[in-house]
Amino acid sequence: MNSKRNKALKSLTGRSEASTLLILIIMIIIVACLQKGFFKWSTMDGYLNAFFPLIILAMGQGIVIIAGGLDMSCGTAMAMVLCVMTKIMNPNVSSSGVTALLVGLGVALLTGIVNGIVVGYLRLPPVIATYATSYVWLGIALFVTPTPGGQMTSWFKGFYDLRKIGFNASSKQVMPTALIWLLIACIIWAVVRRTKTGRYIYAVGSHNDNSYASGINTAKIQLRAYLLNSIFIYIVAVFNAAQNGSGSAHMGDTLTLQVIAAAIVGGIAMTGGKGNVYAAIAGALIMSFVSKIIYFAGITSAYQTLVSGLIIIAAIASSILYSVRQKKALLKGVSE
Amino acid sequence: MAILTATGIQKNFGGVVALKNANLSCEKGKITGLLGTNGSGKSTLSKIITGVFSKDAGTIVYDGKEVEYRNPHEAKMNGISMVFQNLSLIPDLNVWQNIIFGVEDKKGIFLDNAKAIALSHEILDDLMPGIDVNQKVCNLNPGEQQITEIAKAIAVNPKILILDEPTAALEKEEVENLFRYMHKLAGKGVAMIFTSHRLWEVMEICDNVVVFRNGVNVGEMDFEKDKRDVDAIVRMITGEAAGVHVTKEYHPLSEDTMLEVSGLNYGKYLRDIGFTVKKGEVLGIGGLAGQGQNELMLALAGNYPEADGDVNIAGTKIKPNRPGNAVQNGMLFVPGDRQREGIFANNSIYYNMIFPKLGLRKQPFFTPTKKYRKEAEEICDALSVRMRNIDQELYSLSGGNQQKIVVGKWLSFDINVLLLDDPAKGVDVAAKRDLYSFIMKMVKEKDMSVILYASDNDELISYCDRLLIMYEGKIVSELKGNEIHDDSIVACSMCVNSGEGSVDEQQAE
Amino acid sequence: MENRPVQLEQHPVRNFYLRNNKVFNTLLMVIIVFVGGELIIGLKTGTWGTFLSVTQIFITIRLAAFIMLFGLCQQLVICVGNAGLDLSVGYIATLAGIITGHIMNSSNAGIPLALITAMAVGAFFGLGNGFFTSYLGLPSLVVTMAMANIVQGIVNAYTKAVPIDGYGSPAIVWLSSNFVGPFPCIILVIIAAVVIMTILFGKTRTGIKLLGIGANETTAYLSGVRVKKIRMMAFMVSGIVAGLTGVLLVGSLGRASMDMGSNYVMPSIVAVVVGGVAIGGGEANYLSVCLGAIVLQSLTNLFVALGWGDAGKWLGYGAILIIMLTAYIRGKRVR
Repeated sequence: MNSKRNKALKSLTGRSEASTLLILIIMIIIVACLQKGFFKWSTMDGYLNAFFPLIILAMGQGIVIIAGGLDMSCGTAMAMVLCVMTKIMNPNVSSSGVTALLVGLGVALLTGIVNGIVVGYLRLPPVIATYATSYVWLGIALFVTPTPGGQMTSWFKGFYDLRKIGFNASSKQVMPTALIWLLIACIIWAVVRRTKTGRYIYAVGSHNDNSYASGINTAKIQLRAYLLNSIFIYIVAVFNAAQNGSGSAHMGDTLTLQVIAAAIVGGIAMTGGKGNVYAAIAGALIMSFVSKIIYFAGITSAYQTLVSGLIIIAAIASSILYSVRQKKALLKGVSE
Repeated sequence: MAILTATGIQKNFGGVVALKNANLSCEKGKITGLLGTNGSGKSTLSKIITGVFSKDAGTIVYDGKEVEYRNPHEAKMNGISMVFQNLSLIPDLNVWQNIIFGVEDKKGIFLDNAKAIALSHEILDDLMPGIDVNQKVCNLNPGEQQITEIAKAIAVNPKILILDEPTAALEKEEVENLFRYMHKLAGKGVAMIFTSHRLWEVMEICDNVVVFRNGVNVGEMDFEKDKRDVDAIVRMITGEAAGVHVTKEYHPLSEDTMLEVSGLNYGKYLRDIGFTVKKGEVLGIGGLAGQGQNELMLALAGNYPEADGDVNIAGTKIKPNRPGNAVQNGMLFVPGDRQREGIFANNSIYYNMIFPKLGLRKQPFFTPTKKYRKEAEEICDALSVRMRNIDQELYSLSGGNQQKIVVGKWLSFDINVLLLDDPAKGVDVAAKRDLYSFIMKMVKEKDMSVILYASDNDELISYCDRLLIMYEGKIVSELKGNEIHDDSIVACSMCVNSGEGSVDEQQAE
Repeated sequence: MENRPVQLEQHPVRNFYLRNNKVFNTLLMVIIVFVGGELIIGLKTGTWGTFLSVTQIFITIRLAAFIMLFGLCQQLVICVGNAGLDLSVGYIATLAGIITGHIMNSSNAGIPLALITAMAVGAFFGLGNGFFTSYLGLPSLVVTMAMANIVQGIVNAYTKAVPIDGYGSPAIVWLSSNFVGPFPCIILVIIAAVVIMTILFGKTRTGIKLLGIGANETTAYLSGVRVKKIRMMAFMVSGIVAGLTGVLLVGSLGRASMDMGSNYVMPSIVAVVVGGVAIGGGEANYLSVCLGAIVLQSLTNLFVALGWGDAGKWLGYGAILIIMLTAYIRGKRVR
């Protein structure tokens, strides 16, 4: 049969993840050379805390993109949840922290529901629909926090760093809290991936119409994808709140595009239906390391946005060109 | 015993009658073949049974109860499974994930993948031995994809399995595997309905055949009782000579060559096509649907940047890779799928008619509105377009009138070759008549050449001086003048005559 | 053969309404917002005649003018279809404004060079947008957003090297900020723009092609139109207009600033949707877009008057966009 051609095609599709890993390793090597004491726990801990938002948000974004959607509102949604939580918390009332956690979760899930309805049920184009909802979140955030501010109950700090609330205060070997969160995020996805919803998320993103024809409720699946994303957004908001104790409505404005780029660099195809959510972690790390390298090279942060813009265009361009090449290779063989 | 009986099925699609009075019955463990040309209704009947379309009248009795399914998924859950020609697979999932797609088994909240893999092996070890079930479906070749689609239909243990043109993409070996599996299913008591244009396949695998023409049953043959008579079947498909054959002598209006095509290649759709067209000649392209005729027209129109070959039109050599090349040299394209390729539905008649002019060079920047409007009105008049005025939006016209505009927009050009890609598809009788008589008039008056592809053989017979039959991307026969009639077209299309067609078919016979 | 004579519509007035119904619908929205706002403010504060007055209307028009100008950019890239949007117009205008601020330097003599420079800057980035969206097929929202980031980075870097300086030329300032009686001078620019756009789409070869590409890409392509090239040009022109708008912004503010353009991007898109122009392409009605801009600016004024400020504005824009997209797409989509 045509097994020779199949083998060649298999190597084409496998290439994406391997090359991401390779690039990541190269980045780590470069940074390790530039940063003294890179392999110390404290340095890596610091890096992890700084890179954490991008990593987790990229995972959530990855899920949404795989399901055939996109979330241009994740940055402002995170800012909104953060502002709400820091507004509710009062250092004198210990239970306000719990209230903040609950309300924050509710608000975060609400963003997932709204996005899911708008994209899945109303069938608006995800790009412009979530662009619109991003302004809704921004507006709400500005209502809650017109000027940057907010407070935090003392025990809340633990969500950022368990040592601050008494766990192994002196030990250097404890697992960084950010890593615990990351593991939780990975476990969430690991569980979902093995369920029907997980499989259908890939199916709906791969071919919405055929999924529908096979009896799948595609709107519900996309809604679930956005809900999962909102949980990841919530995690980042909690972490940020615990880290800074205050929030600003415009905090997430530049984040969204970086998150999308991270997912794409991590090998998640914009067309949906394929990609590895764990690879989005690698993508986020690569983006973060690149900005670190720029910093070490002495280029000011003024260029950060410029560089991330260039990376995004390059990443999407190669992602699309790659899938175009795959389609062309199959021109002689596939009818759909 | 009959497990499913359909009686008196009627179906219209917006004025076009697909089924007038269709009847079918299938029995447990038997394979029934459906035969008929394009538009005979056999495909529509299958789709009504599985719930893709709703019926306008008639009854379907399944397992003793009257049923009507609203969608194919519902039918599948009740034991009627259909394999479509347009695959319903999910490209990025692999083979075994596709086979149980929509009906996955669970272990708690997790998917039971082991069970799914075992089931796929169970089916595919017979149907497609040696296939790696972990491959993504998008990486399979069309034959393997088709087999996967079939396996998906089988995986739910249907009582009735409908296979609509399943062999179109399969190689000989795969067909043999399929037929062996179908016999196995028959042994288990599954009833099957099988459609194919390859006549010899139907003869081989089916226990009986039902022939459709123009939406009704016109004949049956039970192979257990009667001998397999190919000629009788072909006659049933095409119908007894209804009226006189339109005899035409083959005489082109001039000896000059208007168009010469050689070495035209496009992927798997067009393989080394070459032919010539004389000035004032009407050349037909025929054959079974989907053999590359549509692609040929689009390639000549310049729609495929990757198409390869030489086109020589009225002495100018062009490459068929940009529409601009064709339009500039007077080779103008009238699409069959006008919704997609031919019209601006929300824009006015006037807009649609002046738009093609803009592709030409040397057009004024400010459109000479008065002049263009007058021209447009004159053309609409000549074509007898039923409209209020030329500012009317195109979607408000009937299909036939829309098609007149699709043709009409080119009429102010100097046409060398008019490419007609099934121009009368879905058009009512009156508009069809107007359209063709106008075109034929232009052929006579202006020495215009026409390449005509029509899915309705009657059109080819009535209007063509010469007819090329295509099969699997190649030109396999040429019929001239009074050689063109129903029987010869059908025979050539199905490559029934020995000495023609590909080697596979000869071996199968 | 049947022969039907060509007839005219019975009622010329009704005909006129139907042919321009988008404009009338948006005009209706303008009236509703002004009257509604007047009612709300009047009932809340007891002072009447502040929201709905001749001066206020023209002030609103003047403020809305920049939304209209950026709306012109959006109209161009939207009408060619393929989900075209240009999020980079804000920062392109900012960059052009900053650079030409130096050139103009309070003197009319600097105007020609300033205009050419602004157009060049806009054309450069617009061409980039056009290339990546049209020839590489990347989604325009993401590409132009990334381009906005890139231009923002350039603005940051430029202003670190060369601090913002230079006031706008008197003529430009007059055009952007001044009033002649109740009429804002910038209305001249707007009227010119409306006239040009209406003629472009109604009577010229280019306009007809633009509409066709957005209406049915395949049909246009098969008629020999060079779809990809024209789409790229649409983005280039969008950039050019954005650049020129940057010059006018300098005139409006007196001196350039680093975020003078970015807040106009979102409302420029919403203005098109409010104006009832199909976001999927194939349609163009710039007058309606301008009226849409007035609706949005008026709503912003209302929010400010109610004390909701920026929060209400962004929330409102987002909500309006979703609602109008839903209303439009629900009418068209079926599954």
